[in-house]
Amino acid sequence: MSRFIARRLLLLPFVALGVTALIFSLLQLLTPAMRASLYITDPKQLNALPDIIRKYHLDQPVYVQYWEWLRQVLHGDLGWSETAREPVLAAIRGYFPATFELALYSFVCILVLGIWLGTLSAVQKDKIVDHVSRSTSISGASLPTFVWGLVLLMVFYGHFGWFPPGRIGLDADLFVRSPQFHPYTGLLTIDALLNGQWWLLWDALRHLVLPVATLTYFITATLVRITRSSMLETLRADYVRTAEAKGLPRDVVVDKHARRNALIPVITLASLLFVGLLSGVVITETVFNWPGIGRWGVTASQQLDIPAVTGFALIFAGMLVLGNLCADVLYAVVDPRIRLQ
Amino acid sequence: MRMRPWSIRITAVLVAAIVPLSLGALVARGAGEPVRNPDTFVELQFGDVTSLDPDLAYDIYSAEPIWPNVYETLIIYSGSSLDKFSPMLATEVPSLQNGLISKDGLTYTFPIRQGVHFHDGSIMTPDDVVYSFRRFLLQDQAGGPAWLLLSPLLGVDSTRDKQGKIQVTFDQVQKAVYAQGNNVVFHLKRPFAPFLTIMAAWGGVMPRKWAAAHNDWDGGATTWQKYNNPKNEDRYQFDHMNGTGPFMLEQWDRQNKEVILVRNDHYWRQPARLRRVIIKSVTELAARRLQLQQGDADLIVASLNEQSQLRGLPNTVMQAKLPQIAVQTLQFNFKINTEGNPDAGSGKLDGQGIPSDFFADIHVRRGFAYAFDYAQNLSSAYAGQGILPHGPIVQGLLGYDASVPTYTTSRDKAIAEFKEAQGGKLWDTGFKFTVPYTAGNTARQVGATILRDDVQALNPKFQINFRPVPASALNDLLFSHKGTMYFLGWFADYPDPHDFAQPFLSANGYFPVRGGYNNPEADRLIDQAVGTADPAKRASIYKQISMLAYNDLPYLFLVQPTTYYTMRTWVHGWYYNPIFPGQYYYTLYKQ
Amino acid sequence: MSAVRVPSIAAPGAPTVQRVQPSAWERTLRRFRRNPLSVLGLCIILFFFVVALLAPLLAHPTERNPYMIPHQGYASDPRPPGPGHPLGTTEEQFDLYYGAIWGARSAFVVALTVVGAGIAVALTLGSLSGYYGGWIDEAVMRVTDIFLAFPGLILAVVIVAVLGQSARNAVIAIAVVAWPTYTRLLRAEFLRVRDMEYVQAARAMGVGDFFIIIRHVLPNTIYPIIILASLDMGGIVINFAALSFLGLGAPPGYADWGQLISLSHNWILGTAGDPFQYWYTLLVPGVAIFLFVLGWNLLGDAFQDIFDPRQRGSV
Repeated sequence: MSRFIARRLLLLPFVALGVTALIFSLLQLLTPAMRASLYITDPKQLNALPDIIRKYHLDQPVYVQYWEWLRQVLHGDLGWSETAREPVLAAIRGYFPATFELALYSFVCILVLGIWLGTLSAVQKDKIVDHVSRSTSISGASLPTFVWGLVLLMVFYGHFGWFPPGRIGLDADLFVRSPQFHPYTGLLTIDALLNGQWWLLWDALRHLVLPVATLTYFITATLVRITRSSMLETLRADYVRTAEAKGLPRDVVVDKHARRNALIPVITLASLLFVGLLSGVVITETVFNWPGIGRWGVTASQQLDIPAVTGFALIFAGMLVLGNLCADVLYAVVDPRIRLQ
Repeated sequence: MRMRPWSIRITAVLVAAIVPLSLGALVARGAGEPVRNPDTFVELQFGDVTSLDPDLAYDIYSAEPIWPNVYETLIIYSGSSLDKFSPMLATEVPSLQNGLISKDGLTYTFPIRQGVHFHDGSIMTPDDVVYSFRRFLLQDQAGGPAWLLLSPLLGVDSTRDKQGKIQVTFDQVQKAVYAQGNNVVFHLKRPFAPFLTIMAAWGGVMPRKWAAAHNDWDGGATTWQKYNNPKNEDRYQFDHMNGTGPFMLEQWDRQNKEVILVRNDHYWRQPARLRRVIIKSVTELAARRLQLQQGDADLIVASLNEQSQLRGLPNTVMQAKLPQIAVQTLQFNFKINTEGNPDAGSGKLDGQGIPSDFFADIHVRRGFAYAFDYAQNLSSAYAGQGILPHGPIVQGLLGYDASVPTYTTSRDKAIAEFKEAQGGKLWDTGFKFTVPYTAGNTARQVGATILRDDVQALNPKFQINFRPVPASALNDLLFSHKGTMYFLGWFADYPDPHDFAQPFLSANGYFPVRGGYNNPEADRLIDQAVGTADPAKRASIYKQISMLAYNDLPYLFLVQPTTYYTMRTWVHGWYYNPIFPGQYYYTLYKQ
Repeated sequence: MSAVRVPSIAAPGAPTVQRVQPSAWERTLRRFRRNPLSVLGLCIILFFFVVALLAPLLAHPTERNPYMIPHQGYASDPRPPGPGHPLGTTEEQFDLYYGAIWGARSAFVVALTVVGAGIAVALTLGSLSGYYGGWIDEAVMRVTDIFLAFPGLILAVVIVAVLGQSARNAVIAIAVVAWPTYTRLLRAEFLRVRDMEYVQAARAMGVGDFFIIIRHVLPNTIYPIIILASLDMGGIVINFAALSFLGLGAPPGYADWGQLISLSHNWILGTAGDPFQYWYTLLVPGVAIFLFVLGWNLLGDAFQDIFDPRQRGSV
């Protein structure tokens, strides 16, 4: 198992290299002058593009340019974002916690709901529960995040006025900016707990409800389907039938034997969930005006703020690669075939 | 100083419209509704701040927190009036009667208020006032506000000549603004009746020592040139404020595009009733409206074509049909920076872009002028709430003349002009470019759609796209000459035609600095108009200037709109003055 | 939001779709008919197909570019369904009926273009990679790895930022995101078929590589590709609509459901006292895209049930 994990870890730099190479190749579609903006860390340099082109070898062969660019990126120097009006790295640092918080809560909801419903559906195959869960999941998978999000907005913001818009209420925002508050993680809910401010936690959670609900539905639908089919297969497996034949109660069989094994294919398909989650984050943030990286990236793209878009793509690719790595490790831990290697 | 007939007219027009509104607002207030966050005021709008430096910022979104909330001027407009003033950092408003204006109309003396503290605790002295005004004159960012005072005080509208060489001396500035005991004296180059209207809105006072301690000019005679024409971010004052006003800067969160002001408890008058003010940029109207509806926002700004969505919201009041001394335009860039500029496409006349000098061709400009549907724009983008202007001098100002011709929509004329354009080549090659517009300004978005549809209908090879750009980014974009054709509005800095002629047509004006228009004849006429005291003569020169604008066609003058604000009924003490860039939070309270 | 790809096909390393014996066709059809949901899916797709085909008759184009929705004036407030506008109008008065009809056509055009481009690339790269193996295979696979290291929509956003915003560039962006999946699938199929006896036999007889690929290998690999494509159609349309919704795809007024939905963004709160006043601006394009994707998903589910061996004999 450790060999498997080690191999994955060894591959990581190569993936990173590939990811940066792809971004860099895409940037080659731009004119040198537009690419020069990637090296600007300070708006004062905006009028000195020719100097920058020379300084960063933008008139040199491509591999020289790539190397120069990569060196900059490795130093954390991603350029100046006109959209955020600050260096890209600082912008990412500022926007990331909001995105991470949204994704984290959604991911937990997706896992719990998806696996629970998927299992239930498989165990109760062709019963009413199964039909309901299947039809909900298939319609969820057909309902684009932005349509679902807008419907929720229309009903719960517009009609009922139950949940507040944005990420944080006014009082809470002022409190968070005040010196009494220590931002340990940037995640409002966690920080609220660490600061012992229950009302702040409540405020943050209330703001999270609709965005999380929006993001959850679409991807849960996918997970339910995966879990269900995987569970069905496991339930037919010999060892499960044997366990049942031995007279073990159905619940125990499902919990102890079937579900654990059924989760293995779910883990292999985690990548699919991450992709859906991360893409969904971008849309959800736009729909709900959520001040995260996704919304920033979209605005940056509209404005042709290339350094910001580059940073946005790199951070999302990074999240996906790391997510997949975690899934791989988990897979190695869970799947006996790899564990024994 | 006696008011000239033209000023009386404009004041009458505006005051007549405003006063009943403000009074009405005070009366028609709902009662019994619990006030959310009673000492915090939240304003949502779509523009964002470019700079907080009172001497460099020159757009209304930046100006709103700056003046008169954080930095203060020597005098200020009294309430909604445009010709009556109240003392602020000066203790008296100069006039001929009190002898503070000299008989020849050249010298203005302002007795400076004692015991005023800056936000850092230091005490304001006449020296600080002199420093602040000299800084205003000498920092002189290209296309910035310095011309407002350079023009009456030094008789030039820039500290630099056409080649960019410094053309003023410190000696001149020293003679124009100086301290005299406890007074600060301004010496004008030539008599200029509207001088006080400028002083009532420009020249925020900051401490000299504080500025000098933060890498800024120290007020010295020899060092100032080093600080001339700075970039916004060069200055400590870009994101730090230290004025005398009722509010202090708590935070400028550029990421979330919000400015938070906090009450100045050591204000020289009664401290403000609000403890905090939050001005935030939210480009989506739905989000702004929702926060207003739920009471999280107290006042929101929106475009005229969005008014119907805000009408009749429970517990809100709409202050509508507020007259503006303003004009909305569609502008051409005569010299586009096509380097790394995707808005200009290929940068060549090949049907996939436009060359740098595309709009320098009068036929191209006339083609657009005839193609654009002005009436449609007024009725849909501005919901019919405004009038079609006749050139740069808007209604209400001296020199406004309805007999100045305008371009009217004509498909045939547009086609004829486009066929002549670029030596006759344009019609066959076509063009492609992108129009940037202020994000969240849906009126301009509709205008861009109209432009696209009208022009593309002429010839399938004519392609126009448009895209939203946040206010501050658009400012940077235009400043680096990357604009192609773009929507911009002009709001009066002070109610005088000079404030429209110069920014639009002088080579050093706000718009020509960005768009490259240059006609020495215009410069000559503008200079002549400022130097003319007789209103009738002056008006006739402004008519000539308007004719010049018609013939040269550097801009399409689209509409002189009204404006409106939507606020919670618990907001009290609100009043409107068309010169205010935004709200004056000092008088506001929630109850 | 990326394509919902049915896991047994899309996941790298997971078993690929079982090849169906020619005789299996009838069994397939029978199984297909037995599943009412899949029939429903097929009906929905056929409905949209007919609508797309007859779009010029159902909604007569008046603009030079039929994909641009006609509009009368630019008034900002949407109008409810009524005479002249059976489904109402959006802000700036774009006709929702026209947009919904032509949106179906543009959905098919976009999806078929992307799938076509994906298959074309997959046929070239996948066959080279799968048939020859070795360093070509390695190179192609590593490149697909890199593309798959990005969430699809994010990569599309980058591509649009670089190429510029237009409907065409959005299609290109989505195609660039889509090709790796097709290539990987085709390669796997090639690997399997390459070692089959009749291919070995053909090679032994001295038949040229090109001929073998065209004559023997391709016909056997194209089938799973078509299944993948049908599963992908809904996802592609969602991605395209998402780009338009984010303001990075089709321009305002273009007959695309996502673009129409973005026009509803400002109106979802209705007016004072009537929060649902502008329901049609969201529901018309929303329902259209939902049904379209649902149709393909139902069909995809049916395919999965039929071709996934793990489910066989259990229904």
